[in-house]
Amino acid sequence: MKSIRKSNFLLFMLPSVIALLLVLAIPLGYSLITSFFDTNLKYQGLGEFVGLQNYIDVIKDVYFRDSVKTTLIFTVGVVILEFLAGLVIALLLNNIRKGRNLFFTIIIVPMMITPIAVGLIWRLLLHSDLGIVNYVLSLFGISGKAWLADASLALKTVMFIDIWQNVPYMVLVILAGLVTLPTEPYEAAAIDGASRTQSFFRLTIPMMLPTFSVVLLLRTITALKTYDLIFVLTRGGPGSTTEVISYHIYQQAFRYLEIGKASAMSYLLLLLIIPIAFLFIKISRSRTV
Amino acid sequence: MKRTSVRILSLLFATVLLLSFVLSGCGGNSDEDTTSQNTINILMEDVPDTQCVIDNIADFEEATGITVNIESVNYSSMHEKILTQMLSSTNAYDIIVVDCYWVGEFVAAGWIEPLDSMIESSGFDTSVYIDSMMNMVGQVDGTTYMLPFYNYMLALIYRTDIWSDPELAEGYKNETGKDLAAWDSLEDYVEACKYITSVKGDEMAGAVMQGLRPDPIAMEWCNYLFSCGGDFYDASGNITINSPEAVKALELYVDNMTNAAPAGSPGYGFDEAFNVMAQGGAASYVTYNWMLPKLENSAESNVAGLCDVAQIPGGVSLNAGWGWAIPHNAANKELSWKFLEWVESFDVCKARALSGGSPTRSDVMSDADVLAACPYLDTVKSIMETSKMIPIMEDAPQLIEVLGRELSEAVTGAKTAQEALDTVAEEMASMT
Repeated sequence: MKSIRKSNFLLFMLPSVIALLLVLAIPLGYSLITSFFDTNLKYQGLGEFVGLQNYIDVIKDVYFRDSVKTTLIFTVGVVILEFLAGLVIALLLNNIRKGRNLFFTIIIVPMMITPIAVGLIWRLLLHSDLGIVNYVLSLFGISGKAWLADASLALKTVMFIDIWQNVPYMVLVILAGLVTLPTEPYEAAAIDGASRTQSFFRLTIPMMLPTFSVVLLLRTITALKTYDLIFVLTRGGPGSTTEVISYHIYQQAFRYLEIGKASAMSYLLLLLIIPIAFLFIKISRSRTV
Repeated sequence: MKRTSVRILSLLFATVLLLSFVLSGCGGNSDEDTTSQNTINILMEDVPDTQCVIDNIADFEEATGITVNIESVNYSSMHEKILTQMLSSTNAYDIIVVDCYWVGEFVAAGWIEPLDSMIESSGFDTSVYIDSMMNMVGQVDGTTYMLPFYNYMLALIYRTDIWSDPELAEGYKNETGKDLAAWDSLEDYVEACKYITSVKGDEMAGAVMQGLRPDPIAMEWCNYLFSCGGDFYDASGNITINSPEAVKALELYVDNMTNAAPAGSPGYGFDEAFNVMAQGGAASYVTYNWMLPKLENSAESNVAGLCDVAQIPGGVSLNAGWGWAIPHNAANKELSWKFLEWVESFDVCKARALSGGSPTRSDVMSDADVLAACPYLDTVKSIMETSKMIPIMEDAPQLIEVLGRELSEAVTGAKTAQEALDTVAEEMASMT
């Protein structure tokens, strides 16, 4: 009986294992191999074996190092601000009794739009001569800015747009966590004379910590991989002020066609993401145990 | 027994799902295979000339019975779209258009089919093309890989009413002792642009510019480079991109961008800069010559009837253009050639030019009807004859990326002109 169960288990697992191998393991393995060759899409085959030279070149590349720095600033900035904004909105929505669904639907709209469309829309809105943002500011006597062309503003502008798009995701997850919180601890706290602030810091925050961890980790991983917004909004400019790792990898792979170097860069990005992913798995498991 | 059947069915279902998923990802497009006998798929950029081709396509379909599908996409996604098709065993496109600075890369990779045998057997005359176009998007080392499609040579488009405004001209003369519209050099042009911006304030800039990375800024600056006497390489093949002439060209470019152009210019692509010009926000724009008919079209522009085209101050424009090519892995090369013969015939090229296209054939550019409808083409043709192009080299797309990044660094002030161009020269040393 036990052996039949075991064979059934293996049989049912097989399609998933094959699918995972095809879509995940093989591309990952292949790109790991290419990272040790001077593979170029212009020529057939893997090219010459270069060992760790691609990794050495990438680490020496000043623009790659700058893109790591820009990516970290971008990620830390957007994740923290999106989380805080998402928490505030979710708390407000959680306390609304009438029209909650309407507010929720409106707030969630930006999340439904693809990043490419978001980029194009904001590029039009922020056009420094003909855009509506500067026009509205001018009505209040405020002079407009070159939002995407000023080196001191461009990264902040891209971060703002990313926040605009991704706050709904934070709201969605945090609100889902808030509505599932048990009411008993709050009732007990109220009987004991706890204020709303005390309840928030002593009950809500501790009970929501697992949800916060998951949402922060997932968002950190996606923010580290941001590419589409940069491609549409700034192409890494002005200068190289908005050049993030994923855009740098795109250039290496699809403009320079140097797949070997692009693979090495991708693995270095993976090194950044893997610890975060492991942390996420650990927290997810600790929640289910 | 019943439980076993359910298990077997479930397993079968899962396997079918997996197989269909795998096959849909790996297999070729069977629909295309069955209809490819009489259908041509073409990838083109979404520009006015493409629309001119689309407008005339019914004639070809009617005459030959061949169906033509044209996929017109934004420039930014074209290179990647073509690239993925070139690397697969069969190509979804029977014909592609190739930008001038992709030519070296495509030829080196063997991605486009030599056309000489087809040209010879059909008797197609390639001598009708303007030499500079044929040398750029036609032949490479004596082999014909493309037929020139349309030119997008850059030139100076300017507002005739502003540059001939007596009040402005008098003020400028009093201040500098020079004539406002006497652009003998780039220095004169930049100085005049700065003057117009200082006089007009927020109302109008002396020049609108396209500083977006990588190709808009690189293409625009090349006009400054050539007009200041600089170039990418000298006659012996030595890198000269950081020569004193090139540094001067970049300093003038940065000066114009910083002190004459609208504040948004360092981030503008050509469409955004065009909109500023079309709304009357700028007195001049170094841009693609095909922008002129768009600016002169009152449906698209507020400055229709007020614009003209001229040589870049300093005298040397960047020549640029697109060529028709047949991918090495195209399904039916004979059909593709049949289409190219038709689309590049005199009558079709003339019709395209009359509806706002940008010709590459000398006979079309000199045609009386075409010149009557588009008198500016006479100027365009003369500018084209002295223009220069981005060198045809395998790593030209990489060169444009590096150049675009470094020019943008100079515009933001992160690097001096010399530092930025030294970096370009350093990276060019490893390019082929």
